[in-house]
Amino acid sequence: MKRTPFTRGLSVFWWLMIAFLYLPLGVIVLYSFNSANSAAFFAGFSLRWYERLLGNDQLLTALGNTLALGVASSVIALVIGTLIGYGMYRHRGRKLGWLVALIYLPIVMPDIVFGISEMAFFITMDREFGILGPSLATMIIAHVTFQIPFVALIVYSRFVGLDPTLFEAAKDLYASPAQRARHFLLPTLKPSLIAAFFLAFTLSIDDFVISFFTAGPENATLPIYIWGAIRRGVSPEINAIATLMILTVAIAAVISLLFNKEGRRS
Amino acid sequence: MAQPPYPPARQRRTLSPDTRHLLWSVAPGVVWIVIFLVLPSLYLIGVAFMTNGPYGQPQMPLSLESFRQLAGFGFLGWSPGNLYTLLRSLWQTVIATGLVILIAYPLAYHISISPRQWRAIMLLAVVVPSWTNQVIRAFGWMNLLSPGTPLSQVAQFFGLIGPNMGLYPSNFAVTLGLIYNFLPFMVLPLYAAFEKLDAGLIEAARDLYASPVRAFWHAVFPQTLSGLLAGTVLVSIPAFGMYVVPELLGGGRAMMLGSLVAGQFSGGSNWPLGAAGALIMLLATLGGLYAMRKVGRRLGGGEEVVI
Repeated sequence: MKRTPFTRGLSVFWWLMIAFLYLPLGVIVLYSFNSANSAAFFAGFSLRWYERLLGNDQLLTALGNTLALGVASSVIALVIGTLIGYGMYRHRGRKLGWLVALIYLPIVMPDIVFGISEMAFFITMDREFGILGPSLATMIIAHVTFQIPFVALIVYSRFVGLDPTLFEAAKDLYASPAQRARHFLLPTLKPSLIAAFFLAFTLSIDDFVISFFTAGPENATLPIYIWGAIRRGVSPEINAIATLMILTVAIAAVISLLFNKEGRRS
Repeated sequence: MAQPPYPPARQRRTLSPDTRHLLWSVAPGVVWIVIFLVLPSLYLIGVAFMTNGPYGQPQMPLSLESFRQLAGFGFLGWSPGNLYTLLRSLWQTVIATGLVILIAYPLAYHISISPRQWRAIMLLAVVVPSWTNQVIRAFGWMNLLSPGTPLSQVAQFFGLIGPNMGLYPSNFAVTLGLIYNFLPFMVLPLYAAFEKLDAGLIEAARDLYASPVRAFWHAVFPQTLSGLLAGTVLVSIPAFGMYVVPELLGGGRAMMLGSLVAGQFSGGSNWPLGAAGALIMLLATLGGLYAMRKVGRRLGGGEEVVI
């Protein structure tokens, strides 16, 4: 590429926007090590806010809830979503527009409408039939609902990348459906399944709005805890816990990307 | 896939193994989404047409009362509060989407002309911040914009805000937060469009002595239209329903529709009114998707929405 004033200007703009994108996160990480209780200046390095986290029972409970919710919902969504992805692929010759529309519904629906309709539904079911009262279970249900499409799409796109004759070959070798699943489908899918699991897990940890509206009073997750803490008045501890969450999400995301790439390559 | 060679007579009576296989594999997910998303949404739409009971529970008879309330008619006569909220949501959405487009075009173009081995990393760099929780991202901006911070002091120096004030809470902070949240959603589809761009057309335009602006407008812009359209839907629909950013960065005077809706299900307790607001968001979503399909068809290749 020739370097003209125009491309040089583009490059400067690019770096400015990268700064814009990373500044708010960088400030959180920086202030999490601030020895003073201030958002306006950095007084010196300290780990005191991280030490405080360890003694905070509410926060540890929220951490437990977040992990339980993330793992449970991701496992369920992985099973259901993989089945859909497989079905969509094997029957892609049919008219499956309705299925695609249904799968895109959780993705395109604004999260506040999503969360509130589930909340209204759960509360009414609880009042009328005594089931599905807001709890960790309802949160898991809601999370699975928005995770299914992403798992299905990852698995589907993995299948599309495969050589279709592989399926015929497995059949020609008289492999039973169970054998085909064990020796052919699962091994080829493995990287994509791992990627899908971590994507689902990341989505779960990232979600605030839907969790907020489907949670019972005792099921605060980390984002809900942070939300409450911000509303009560900012404490520097939030910077510390937010830093840990940024780190966790970054790691999970990188794992998901690596495995998805591997899945596509092989 | 080869269809199993069953006689047509048998196919009519029972499901073919192929159909059974399809149902068996997609049924769990379909049932799940129908029970836990389609039904609740239909229920919510129903609630919008019910009457508000004494404890904020929806009741019969069916009425349009909630929509009257949304338009501002209450016990004490008409007040413009709800309409202001609706208009503000619309205004913020338009402004934020417009600015996101202006920022995303040069970014996407820059990525598309960078060395091939860098492009994936550059896209990743744009997307990664949006993977963190939106509450945390809004909190980051609170850190940056609160009173006494360098940015607020600069704004005070130029007289943009009063002494000892911060840049947040304000409408400006909400716009900034929306741009921050949704920028990646525009860069990705635009980049996909730039990637496929026919560079020959630009050269041809330049060879014919078109100015850079004319070359962009006549040779580049039409080719990126499908990406722009996808990005606009991906940005404007969630921006219109945004809850976290206006709540945290806006304060009471910058309320958007999301807060109005949410308030009716917690503190305010008027489910039908909240459901009416949610219905507007749903209609906006469907309208946006429909418009995109329509225009996308005419342009050709508008179906491939990058998510």
